[in-house]
Amino acid sequence: MNTQGAHSSEFRLLAMPLVLFLLVFLGFPAIVNLIYSVSDVSFETLRQPRITGLSNFAAVWNDRAFWQASWFSFRFGALTALLECALGLVLAIFLSPLIERRSWLMAILMLPLMVAPALVGLMYRLVLHEFAGPVPYYLWAWFGTSVSFLGPTSAFWTLIVVETLQWTPFALLLFYMAYRAIPTEIVEASAMDGARRWHLLWYVELPLMAPTIVVALLIRFIDGFRVFDNVYVLTGSGPGGSTASLSIYIYEAFFKQGAIGKAVAASVILFAVSFAVLYGLNFIASRRKGALR
Amino acid sequence: MINALRWLVFAIAALAMNFPILVTLVTSFKSARELSTNPGLWVQAPTLDNYLAVFQVSDRLNIFLYLLNSITVALIGTTLAVALALPAAYAIARGRLGERTLLPFIVNLRAVPLIIFAIPLYMMFQWLALLDTRLGLGLILSIVNLPLALVILVNAIRDLPGELDEAALMDGANRRQILLRVIAPVCRPAIVTSLIFGFITAWNEFLFGLMLTTSKAVPITVGASFFFAASGGGVQWGVASAVMVVGALPPVLLGLIMYRQISGSMTAGAVKG
Repeated sequence: MNTQGAHSSEFRLLAMPLVLFLLVFLGFPAIVNLIYSVSDVSFETLRQPRITGLSNFAAVWNDRAFWQASWFSFRFGALTALLECALGLVLAIFLSPLIERRSWLMAILMLPLMVAPALVGLMYRLVLHEFAGPVPYYLWAWFGTSVSFLGPTSAFWTLIVVETLQWTPFALLLFYMAYRAIPTEIVEASAMDGARRWHLLWYVELPLMAPTIVVALLIRFIDGFRVFDNVYVLTGSGPGGSTASLSIYIYEAFFKQGAIGKAVAASVILFAVSFAVLYGLNFIASRRKGALR
Repeated sequence: MINALRWLVFAIAALAMNFPILVTLVTSFKSARELSTNPGLWVQAPTLDNYLAVFQVSDRLNIFLYLLNSITVALIGTTLAVALALPAAYAIARGRLGERTLLPFIVNLRAVPLIIFAIPLYMMFQWLALLDTRLGLGLILSIVNLPLALVILVNAIRDLPGELDEAALMDGANRRQILLRVIAPVCRPAIVTSLIFGFITAWNEFLFGLMLTTSKAVPITVGASFFFAASGGGVQWGVASAVMVVGALPPVLLGLIMYRQISGSMTAGAVKG
């Protein structure tokens, strides 16, 4: 477009409100984060932080709970992403002939996506409650035994199931759209060549869906990694901090322990790592796009 | 035969994924007495008492306030996000401004754990007296909504033919006029989609509601958890269920009515993001 030069100042003016907004509400907090992370600061000395160097980072680095929370977040993100995508893929392909003709079926499957994760977490407090919850009730009625779902041994897996059941619809929806978008000519041509159903799926359809699968895995990993709402209302940081995600770790360091320096230093670490990983991924993605052209 | 199997799989999947919603709905119609003997999935004597109790305002709990707060902050967070994103999207799509800087940064925001901004925002809000205000929470929710709104709008504008702008430029219109009179009307479906999507996201947000509000501006996601705080005799599960039904209803209804647009934009946001 050759209007670029003449109108660039007009365009700049149009983008300005957004940029200013981001500078105030993200730029300023980021600077505060950086300053406080190298300062000795408490709720009494909020306005006069004393710069002390890297002691906050050392405190985080040496905190077992920080590494425990990082490990929880990573495992939680990876496991839920894999489970959600595997389930979503199978369901999307297997149910596609049903949904094609009756789109309201998809609306039913998508329902959990509309409910706040915090509310879903609270709902599971009822579902799993030892006296009021139907799951323990039916387990007792049918098997004469029940499980302490939120106890130390099962809490982690309960949380995995809770997250997976709520977000599998997201993967399912993405995969269903990608599956439906496969051109029928390709499928027909392969069928003409005598490809059997399984071969068609494995060698033609799944490779065509591969980009969507990668994106879904990535999104679900990220959302699992930064999980807060449902875990917070179900188990909090759990017995011995066993179900504290990084988000919960930072929240509790700040609000429960008042350890501002530690919370802020952990935020800065998370900030740096997240953006490094994300920009790395963007870089790889743009390189691959370039190669395809 | 295989179709029967498909229906079976569908029924199991739908039941499993919607199970907590179903249980909550059923429980909300049970009296406390029935619940103590029958935690199962059916209701013997349905009652509306739990809903009446929920809408009973006490000095500790006020559901009307929580709902009003949620509506207000969701509206602020949604309209502000779209108002900021639309002109920027136009500049990005047509002026190719910030295509490699602003756009990827904001798209990445969708993936960053937002807790990293929460603590300085908390302090900043304390200085600005924005803690526990609807305006404050609404401002932050607009940041949460920005990435998807921007992606949806940039894609929508990119899909429009450039001749649209050229013709208006010939007529002597400037870019701001073109945006308001030509682009915005044509992009109405995309704008509506980002508004609806933003409203649902903002309504369902929990972390910032928890951190930035304490009493006056508490949204329903946080307020609902107040009903779980035992008041003497343990949690009243019937009442707590009714609260959750009320709190989940607006986004669910909105989602069911608009689910075609939503499914489309979810895919767009995912693939381009």
